[in-house]
Amino acid sequence: MAVERVLTRNVGRAGSRTVKVYRESGGYEALAKALRLQPEEVVEEVKKSALRGRGGAGFPCGLKWSFVPRGTDKPKYIVCNADESEPGTFKDRLLMEHDPQQLIEGCVIAGWAVGANTTYIYIRGEYRFAARVLEEAIREAYDHGILGDSVLGSGFRHDVYVHRGAGAYICGEETGMLESLEGKRGQPRVKPPFPAVVGAFGCPTVINNVETLCCVPHIVLRGADWFRSIGPDERNTGPKLYAISGHVERPGTYEYPIGVTFQELLDGCGGMYKGRRLKAFIPGGASAPMLRAEDREIRMDFDTLAKAGSMLGSAAVIVMDETTCVVRAALRLAKFFAHESCGQCTPCREGTNWMELILHRIESGHGTEADLDLLARVVPNVGGISLCALGDAAQGPVRSLIEKFGDEIRDNLRAGRYPLPRVPYFDLGAVA
Amino acid sequence: MPTVTIDGRLVEVPAGTNLVDAAARVGVQIPHYCYHPRLSVVGQCRMCMVEIEGMPKLQAACSTSVVKDGMVVRSSSPAASEAQRAIMEFLLINHPLDCPICDQAGECGLQDYSFKHGQEFSRFRFEEKRTYPEKERIPLGPTVLLNMNRCIQCTRCVRFTQEISKTGELGFFERGARAEIGTFPGKPLDNPLSTCVVDICPVGALTSTRFRFTERVWYLDKKPSICTGCDVGCNITLEHRQGAIKRYKPRFNPDVNDYWMCDHGRSTHERYATVPRLTAPRLRRDGELRSSGWKEALDVLFQAIRTRRADGATAFLGSGFLSTEEAFLFAKLAELVESPHRSVWVDSGPARAIPNVRGGITGHDAAPNRRGAELAGLLPRPDGVDAERLLVEGGSASCAALFVADSDFGRAAYDPRIVERLRGAKFLAVMGWADSPLAQVADVALPAATHAEREGTFVNVDGRLQRFERSFPPPSQTRPAIEILADLLARIDPKWGAVRAATTFDLMAEEVSALRGLRWANIPAGGIALPAPRREGGA
Repeated sequence: MAVERVLTRNVGRAGSRTVKVYRESGGYEALAKALRLQPEEVVEEVKKSALRGRGGAGFPCGLKWSFVPRGTDKPKYIVCNADESEPGTFKDRLLMEHDPQQLIEGCVIAGWAVGANTTYIYIRGEYRFAARVLEEAIREAYDHGILGDSVLGSGFRHDVYVHRGAGAYICGEETGMLESLEGKRGQPRVKPPFPAVVGAFGCPTVINNVETLCCVPHIVLRGADWFRSIGPDERNTGPKLYAISGHVERPGTYEYPIGVTFQELLDGCGGMYKGRRLKAFIPGGASAPMLRAEDREIRMDFDTLAKAGSMLGSAAVIVMDETTCVVRAALRLAKFFAHESCGQCTPCREGTNWMELILHRIESGHGTEADLDLLARVVPNVGGISLCALGDAAQGPVRSLIEKFGDEIRDNLRAGRYPLPRVPYFDLGAVA
Repeated sequence: MPTVTIDGRLVEVPAGTNLVDAAARVGVQIPHYCYHPRLSVVGQCRMCMVEIEGMPKLQAACSTSVVKDGMVVRSSSPAASEAQRAIMEFLLINHPLDCPICDQAGECGLQDYSFKHGQEFSRFRFEEKRTYPEKERIPLGPTVLLNMNRCIQCTRCVRFTQEISKTGELGFFERGARAEIGTFPGKPLDNPLSTCVVDICPVGALTSTRFRFTERVWYLDKKPSICTGCDVGCNITLEHRQGAIKRYKPRFNPDVNDYWMCDHGRSTHERYATVPRLTAPRLRRDGELRSSGWKEALDVLFQAIRTRRADGATAFLGSGFLSTEEAFLFAKLAELVESPHRSVWVDSGPARAIPNVRGGITGHDAAPNRRGAELAGLLPRPDGVDAERLLVEGGSASCAALFVADSDFGRAAYDPRIVERLRGAKFLAVMGWADSPLAQVADVALPAATHAEREGTFVNVDGRLQRFERSFPPPSQTRPAIEILADLLARIDPKWGAVRAATTFDLMAEEVSALRGLRWANIPAGGIALPAPRREGGA
């Protein structure tokens, strides 16, 4: 499928991190254009584009911006969520490492639109290289008058800071991120108030994902109508990065118009690893409920996946072939969530841990069907009543495990097949 | 004010009130652990989940404010009840369930809500419970012990040290199921209010070093009282078993101590167990001390003080531990025997600050009622000898008779030099509960009730008059000071014979302008601020 690369157009070009190369491909024209517009017009344009947050929740970006109160004395902040820690997700890393100027442009436009003079890019601690690239890019942007007291000579001041996290998944949750940014223990806040009103340091704050902000310059430059022309419908628009991993021939980050089918994604990355049969796939990162091979023709957009009981999330597609023990896969995810739960709220702290224990029992061959029933009863209590979305996220994969593979697990349990044999992903013999 | 419906009951509350508080107004108890009215709302125990019409998901009642009319809330609908049951289950799967050896048993939030909202069986049957090895009894500081295994991570204690005591000793460490409460290295939990974290801990994770293992709480009788540790007058619940006081706990009064009290105050009852007690009237006859009957002792005392004597004055030394009514009768006695020498001695103590919503209240005296005693007339009349002269300057040597009301009136009662100075009086009478060195040298020693064994009023540092109740009767030979004084007064005028605390207060209210219009029966439960308290006016 021939696709115009929008977000990744500079990836692979020599010097793609520099202002010079970025400008050659039309970079910073959008910023200049935005500064000629009224901030409200920029917000309107983004609203019209129907751009939805690329971090996971899919909240309309323009709407989020419009929640920021105008005419307040308080400073406002843009916080770019670069704490890309959802297992399977590595799309923002590509954008930051290869085209940091695009992100900076998006940040400044967002700042102009909502009246914020400061952006914090909260980047996960493990992204040392990306953080260094960003730092260098920011320095260069200052040198070119793109950042600083007068952005492109407009008189609008905007500063961008990189803030590195310390290795907690929960700091990707927007209020947990704010706590961490403020130097506190990274754990989510009670909402409301929402960050748009009371965010970083008690001030109105817009929190956007890296990819979301990277879309903004293109919307401003090429117009909302162009952006809306990409994608299957009015609610799912624009280009989208898909991070594909697992049992495929060429895992990696791929750009497609949003709403591409899973099968198209799979074909685009060379199909299943060694031609094996597809068993299951996770369409949107660890939090997204699994889908079965039968669902392979599903359109990978927000609403279609939601209707199928899963979600687009961060569009991290994890592909599992017939050799996969789905219980083991779910256990791996449950382990992750139990490890990353902040421990603040009861259902998540205790529930994630309990789910892990039960799954572990099943996976290791000590479980019975009663354990599966118990799991089915515990899981709904973990989500829905937790303080933040981590509880909901943690129950997604386990719920789908029971819903989609319950019969298979029961068969295996009755036949005493657990633990299933482990099939190494790589043929280690061949490597040696 | 917006009106909301909670479990079918209509309630009108100020906008911004959270649903837990709003529900409490109409008697609906929404279960909660982490929420505390004086601490920031963190919404993390998730016990208070309620159903709100028009909202797709259950909401935490503590973090949901009433903003507009017409909200319909259900705290015991099937969905809400199921959430509450689920939370109880989650809290208990890793809880040690060691109630039989847990100090909190009987007043435990887990027990109570488990009974009300939980289930009677466990589905956590095969795995080992999470434990915190070596963290079953760590002293967080001198007053508080932590058993991490019992903790439900509500972080009330952490927020208390951050927001109320403002000392910040406690923190929340680790994460997930390994999350724990603790102190920072080298910084123990040591502040004047530290034991409050035990009060607000809903479970047995934090226990009081002082109280733990002294009594099972269901054996305790609980009575409303006032702390005598200083002149803040913290409202307390006095908890005793058959007259042995086991602990003081703060009793909510937003105008005084709010939900808190200091560690010093909590320790004050220990004096009753450690200082020897006067158990029967004692009389010096022919230089020898002997127990006597009440009538005999009072007759001797009365003879000594009844009239002006040629060989010196009759002086009355009261204390800040007298109730206002006792001080009034004591002063009345001085008046009737025409003695101008009446005064109060109060040790000054370290400043004791108790936070409340009005910015706090700080006590400076080491006794609860200097203001009340002075108000009641225990101030030297013109030419009267004051307490300072009696104690410090040895003025008592010129006394023909000295009557000290409260044998435990201060450190001076235990200071041999001062005791000797007071003994300089030709006749020394001492009334009080403690068999202090001062009582031991007295010619007449009268055993009186402790503040737990009598009723009365105290006036605190802010001029707030507060009533305290009798928690249990005094021992057989011991009488409340008010009765002793009434007996003495009745020897002058029989009309005094029958007065008790209530009648004395009402008589006093007619004489003392600051109390005008008050009646014993009408003193509000939370006390009442007196108009412009007279402070050292007559001195």
